[in-house]
Order: sequence, then C-alpha cells, then structure tokens
Amino acid sequence: MSTAPALSLRNLHKSFGGIVAVENLSLDVSRGEIVALVGDNGAGKSTVVKIIAGIHQPSSGEMRLGGELVHFINASQSQAKGVQVVYQDLALAESQPVYMNLFLAREKTKGWFGKLDRAGMIAETEELMRELNVRIPSAKSTVRKLSGGQRQAVAIARATHWATNLVLMDEPTAALGVTETCKVEDIIAGLKERNLAILIVSHSLDQVFRLSDHICVLRRGKQIGVRQTKQTDKNEIVSMITGLKASSRRPMTNDK
Amino acid sequence: MSHLVPYPKLRPKKLMLSKHYFLTAALGAIVVLGNSNLAVAQTMGPNGEAATPSSALTLTDAEVAKLKEGKYSAALVWHTSSDFISAVTAGTIHEFDRAGIKVVATTDAGFDSARQLSDVETVMAKSPSVILALPLDPIGSAKAFQAAKEKGVKLVFLSNVPAGYRQGVDYVSVVTDDLFQMGKQAADALAKSLLNQGKVAWIFHDAQYYVTNQRDNAFRRTIENDYKDMSIVASQGISDPARAEDVAHALLTKNPDLDGIYVTWAEPAEGVLAALRSAGNTKVKIVTLDLSEPIALDMARGGNVTAIVADQAFELGRAMAIAAGYGLLGKNAPAFTVAPALTITRENLAEGYRESLNREPPQSVLDALQANQAPSRGGH
Amino acid sequence: MSVHSTFRRIPVVGQLEPSTYVVYVGFLLIFAVFAVLLRDQGFLTVSNLLNIVQETTPVTVMAIGMVFVLSAGEIDLSIGSVVAIAALLAAVVMRAHNWTLGVAAGLGAGALVGLINGALVVYARLPSFLVTLATMGLLAGVARWMTNLQSVPVIDTTFTNLFGSGSLFGIPSLVIWTALAGFLGHYVYRETRFGARVLATGDNPHAARAAGIKVDRLRLKVLILGSTCAALAGLLYLGRIQGARYTLGETDLLTVIAAAVVGGTRIDGGTGTVLGALIGSLLMGMLNNGLILTGLAVSEQMMVRGFIILVAIALTLREPHRAP
Repeated sequence: MSTAPALSLRNLHKSFGGIVAVENLSLDVSRGEIVALVGDNGAGKSTVVKIIAGIHQPSSGEMRLGGELVHFINASQSQAKGVQVVYQDLALAESQPVYMNLFLAREKTKGWFGKLDRAGMIAETEELMRELNVRIPSAKSTVRKLSGGQRQAVAIARATHWATNLVLMDEPTAALGVTETCKVEDIIAGLKERNLAILIVSHSLDQVFRLSDHICVLRRGKQIGVRQTKQTDKNEIVSMITGLKASSRRPMTNDK
Repeated sequence: MSHLVPYPKLRPKKLMLSKHYFLTAALGAIVVLGNSNLAVAQTMGPNGEAATPSSALTLTDAEVAKLKEGKYSAALVWHTSSDFISAVTAGTIHEFDRAGIKVVATTDAGFDSARQLSDVETVMAKSPSVILALPLDPIGSAKAFQAAKEKGVKLVFLSNVPAGYRQGVDYVSVVTDDLFQMGKQAADALAKSLLNQGKVAWIFHDAQYYVTNQRDNAFRRTIENDYKDMSIVASQGISDPARAEDVAHALLTKNPDLDGIYVTWAEPAEGVLAALRSAGNTKVKIVTLDLSEPIALDMARGGNVTAIVADQAFELGRAMAIAAGYGLLGKNAPAFTVAPALTITRENLAEGYRESLNREPPQSVLDALQANQAPSRGGH
Repeated sequence: MSVHSTFRRIPVVGQLEPSTYVVYVGFLLIFAVFAVLLRDQGFLTVSNLLNIVQETTPVTVMAIGMVFVLSAGEIDLSIGSVVAIAALLAAVVMRAHNWTLGVAAGLGAGALVGLINGALVVYARLPSFLVTLATMGLLAGVARWMTNLQSVPVIDTTFTNLFGSGSLFGIPSLVIWTALAGFLGHYVYRETRFGARVLATGDNPHAARAAGIKVDRLRLKVLILGSTCAALAGLLYLGRIQGARYTLGETDLLTVIAAAVVGGTRIDGGTGTVLGALIGSLLMGMLNNGLILTGLAVSEQMMVRGFIILVAIALTLREPHRAP
C-alpha cells in the first residue's frame, strides 16, 4: 500500500461531555506534501492535533497511518508509529546543548557501561543541521543562547529527525519576527524532500499560502472544506473561516 | 542553654563492661532508688571519686613562674555557646593569663559528636599543650579525644568523662559544680519560701547521668530528712526538656493543691513555667537549677519562681585552668573537683548573675527588678 | 578582542560558565589565604589537610546525592534525620549480628525513606519541599525514639576500619570514600543516560515527558538515591566516631545544600556539577578548619564564614534566570 497517504482521517468525531469539539473530519496528508489546518479560535484545530498525537482519543472515526488502521491511547504510541509533534512551547530543555535536546530520551551510548556517545550525537546533529540548512553557532550551544528562530529550527529538526511518517507543527512561527519567520519557513519547505508528511496549524494565511499544498478549514468543529492551495485565494479561505461572504466591494487586507 | 548532656543508659549485658561502668551503674541505681542506708551526702564523681572543693586548687607564685617559662598553649573545645560557656571561658582565661598560657583556639560543636571529633583534630594542628572541654557524650567522645590523648595533651573535662578514660593517665581532672549542694540548697530555698510546710512535686532528670542524678536526689533527700512538714506528693521524670510543658500540665491536673515544684534544670523549668501560666496558677512556687533569662525574669517580676540555685561558672573555668596547670607541672591533681553552689533569690539576683556568670543581668531582668521593687506576695 | 572573547578561546576552561568555576577559584583563593596567614599554625601540614578531607567526607557524599536531587527539580530536607536513623539502626543491628547486616540495614533504611518521600511526591503529587520538610520532623522523632535518646557504641573493627577510621596503603579510608563518591557520582551524572535525563527533567519536565522520559519514575529514583547517600554518610560518621547518637547529621542539611549550590548546582534544577559539590564541600571544611586555627572566637568564626558563603553564592548565581 505504498500509495496510501501517510495520514488519513475519516469521519473523525470528538466530543468532551456534551461539547462537540470536532465533527466529521476527513483529511488526507501525503508524503512530501504540506497541509495547513486553519480556522478561528475554538475551531477545533488543537483538538485535531492532539488526537493525531495520541493525547486524546477520538469518540468515533478512523485514523490510518500509511494505510494501517491505528488507535493511540497515549503520546508514546503515536511516536512509536513515526508521528512527531512540534508544540507551540517547543518542549526544549534550555540549559542543555542542542545535541542533547535532539537526542532527548534517545541518547546514543557506546561501550559496555552505557557511556554517553557525545561525539557521535554531536556529529549526527551537525549533519542534520547542515541538511536542513539550519544556522546555529554550534551543536554544543546551549539552547538558552539561541534566538527564537533558532530554537524553533532545533525543535523542527528534532521532530524531523525522529519522524518516519508525519510531522505536526502547531503555530511554528507565531512568536517570531519577519526575518526569522522567513528562515524557519525555508526549513519547513525543505522538509518536503525528506519524504515526510507535514501538517501545520497556522493563523497566518500568508504563511499558509506560501508553504502549503492543501488547506483544510475548520469552523466550530465542523470541516468546511479542503482546497488545493494553488486553486484558491485568501478571500475564499477567509469566508470559509468566518462563514461570511466577502463583500466584492471591500478587498481583503493582508493579515499577518 | 544548659550545659547538661545526658549519660547513656547502660545495658550491662550488651556493652563491654569495665569496672568503672559497673561501679557507676551500681551507684547510680542506689542513688536513684534513694536508698538512705547508703545515703550519699557528699558529691561523688562519675566513677565514684570523692570531691575536692575548687578552692583547694591553687598555684604558688613559683609554680606560676614555671608555667610562664613553658610558654604553653591551650584550646577550648566546647559543645555549645551560651552564657554559661562564656562565663567558664572567662574564668579559664583569667587563670591562663596569669600563667602565660595562651588560648590559641576555641570551638563550638553545636551538640554534634562528629563535629566535636573534627574540632579536636583541627585544634591539634596548633599543638596545644592543654585542651579544656565538655565532652558531648561519653561514647561518642571517647574517639573524639583520642588523638589528643595519644599525643599527651593535658585534658581537663567539664562534667563528662569519655568512656574508658583514666584519671591521672588520660586526663587530669573532671570539674563540675557541687552536685549535692546544688540539690540541697534548692530544697532549703523552696522550704524557706513555703515556710517549711507543704506539698511538693519533684521533676527529676530521667536518665542515668551522675550530674543531674546527684542534684535531684540531694533535693529529695533534704526534703525527706530535714523538712518533716513537707512531702513530695508527686514525682515525674523527664528526659526531653521540650516535653516539660506537657509533663507539667499532667502533674498539675493530677495534683491541684501543689505548693511547690522542683525542676531539674532551667530549660525544662521554662516549660513548667509556661504550663503554670496557661493554667493561670500564680500560687505554686518553683525552684530550679542554673540561671536562664526567662526564669530570672519571672523571679524578678515576683512570679512563680522563688529561687534559682546556680553553679559558679566563672569559678568552674578557673578551676579547670588551674587543674590544667597542675597537669603541666606534673603535680597530682584531684580526680574530681567541685565548685560551690549559689542560692539566688530576688534579693541577690543581680549579684547572682555576677558571681555565677561573671556578667551583668540581662536588661529585661534589671528593668523588671526596678519595676517590681517589693515582692508581690509573701513567702520571704 | 575583548577579555571575555579571549577567555572564551582558551580550550576547555574557556567554555566554562562562571557558576561552574567560581567554586574552584574560591577554593584556591581561600586556600592561598589560609596557607599564608596560618603558615605557622599548622594549616599546611599533611595531617591537617587530611583531617579536612576526612571531616568533610559524609557531607561530600550527601552533597553529591543532593546534586542529583536538585538537578531533577526536587529537594530533600530530610537527609539529616536519615543520617541519624541509618547510623543508629546499623549500630544496633551490628551489635546483635554482624557488620555487613548492619550496613545493609542502614542503607536499606535510607532507601526506604527515599521511597516514601518519592511516593508522596509522585503519587500524592505533593511538592518535595513540603514532603521532606514533614518527613524531616517525623524522622527526627523516630531517631529519638529508636534508642530512647541513648547512644550506641560500635566495636567491630572491620567496620570502623572500612567506614571511617582505617586506611589502605597509608591513605585514610575516608579519603578513599571521598574520591570514590566523586568519581562515581561524576560518571553517573555526566556520562550516563540517567544523568542526562535527570537534568532534562529538572530543566523542563514537560519537555522530558513529551519526549518519552518516565518523569515520575525518575523523580522516585533520584529521591531514593539522595536518601541512600545520606544513609551512607551516617555509616561513615558511625565508623569515624565509633558510636551512634540521635543528633548525628542534625546540622548538616544547610552545609550540604550550600556545598551543592556554591559548587554550581542550581536549586531550581536543570544545571549542576558533582565535582563542584565535592570542591564546595571541601571548601566549607577548609573554611571551618582555617577559621578555628586563626584563633577567632566562635561568634567571629560564624560571621566570617557566613559572609564568605554569601559572597560565593552571589557570584555563583549570577546566571540569568531561564525564561518561563
């Protein structure tokens, strides 16, 4: 089933008590493509991310990875199936060097006594940074010393390195300035070549239009539609998000 | 803080016995049981030694000159810091200055036996000729002073002797207050304030420790033998001064018509005082041993405390220093030296502080003495 | 080229953070001052220097354990009481049976306390500061109750030789213990997965958990480790003074924490150094020793010591606080 999409959601439904968070969501994400998940606050985007990551379990519906039906009851299971998440807070250990963060919980050892193979981890980190074109002073730099964009790059690099299927990113450039956003977006775009499927949650329509191949719009838990990025425009996406028809007399201004 | 540190309870079956332990255990048992057939009316040392008054310790001018020539040095290895220790130290320095013996180090082990061992090792680096110390606990301190003992440093101990140490060989002398007199004078003072009649509670130290055992029992024996119209209606032992308040509460509840209470030393007496205050009892008279500010303050205000019997800390220090001199001169020192006891009442409170602790009373006590010129109730 | 950037170019040393090297500089400085000031007072003699190492060994062992605990973002205030309990238990068991059983009992007691502390932290979800504050008091009472305030002597010479009073090839056994503790502690801390995960957990527990580290299990392990180190310290005290008393270790808690912090371990976790704690402990011991030898009165010694520690801690903690 090599042609099956990396991630396939069918009729996904999630409610918390009486509140419906996600209703009847169906979505495919293929390897080598970036899908953006957009919607206003409370649309259900983060719930979807958490379901895919294994933190929440769907109330009903199917999830398949590479065609295989999966049902995660915790985050470790999704990681074991090759799903990696880059959370908004990045989940980095600030006092530790970049390479230790990369190998967090997956440290390389050598020899009988389980001695840490720092040289090996550093080398592998440096190579990964080169491949992804991430500019940091050194693999040994402490994360605290890095800029916001560099930290984001490290978090993305980590997810990329360990993912075999899908990388989920929640607002990857929300906290960054223009220059850094640019750099990080280059890195994200470059991920397509690694044959991973990438799902990004983003508030920035400009970013979505720069990076994604498909856009999935949610509104109040319902899936409004999936569009191919090249075949749609901001006005359409905005009206799908808000549910209001855009007035033809007032052009949409650029949002951040 | 009190200078008292309890002796361990000996278990003859398990411990390596020496003649000295046996003797102390036997004597202790006898003393604690208050058997008047073998009534001990004299203070006895930890190993049953007879007491020599501290006034008997003197150095002639020739001896002082000889000591000066020796250019000796001394280290003071204490177990804590307190008014008492400061007074003892002042006494030792007074004598050492005369003999040209320089105090090169002072330490405070904070009641920690391991620290006392470290302190001894550290001061040994300065090669003192003499070490004056209060060993914290006979078992722990045996090792602590070994290094000094082996190097032939002259050791003079206050109150406690490390287990297995021999007088004249391992140490020069052990000095303490006149234990029997302390207890007896407490009894006399309480009796006087109660006009020789009444019901008394006896709060004693519940551990095998020759210092408190002798004091406590001297009180008891004096009441029993000398004051026929007084009786000890309640006896309660305490081992942890922190529990004194609770113990006193129980005692007062069981014996509501008490006239007086003897408390083994000042720290638990503070707890007993607290219990009396919370019960609103201003009638019961307390007598205890050793000066402490809260106790002295209560007495200055005309409260429950009627008398404090104190040791003469300055004199103890003086005696220790002279004993050290004996050791350096190779003179035979008495095995067990005692300094006299001092009965302190409201009238001589200020002088009591000076004589016992070599200091002025705390300001709070002076103020209270001023404010309460006349005692608030009878009994004196 | 500024001084700072020049400094950074020196291999190895240049990469050190100020918090790491303050303790070494401080140690050398204080050593130098005492060496000169007290040159005729016996400070520099081999026996005095060996004394310093021997006196500080129990605190060193506890400080190394505390480095692990602090690095994981926890703290253990009950170590002082564990020292007394382990020593008393070992002494009592040794008297009735043999020394190996005594040692096992003492260490076992430490591990058990760590387990209890850890279980309360992990399963009852209580902060370790509060849990160990409570157990500190509880265990102090247990120590008093165990032998009814009585001290227990130890006469087994094999034990006392191994654990405090003997020597191997002329090197005092306590010096060997210090070296062993330093070496093992450093290795586990810096060169094993466990050490790396301890630091990650203290730095960002959510990140550690998200990455798959079993954070609860790790916290438990670290508290057991800290308590067992305290029990070992109790055995070392026992071997040294050849008697156990309920007051053992009572005053050590602050010295242990000071040694760890002055050595460069942060109280809020995420960064630390075992070797720094060892040097920090030696520094404290050297300070005590030197101040006594200066002949200062006890109150003066305390003031000078407090001042120096204050300065050392201020210099060590000049790292910026991490972002929330």
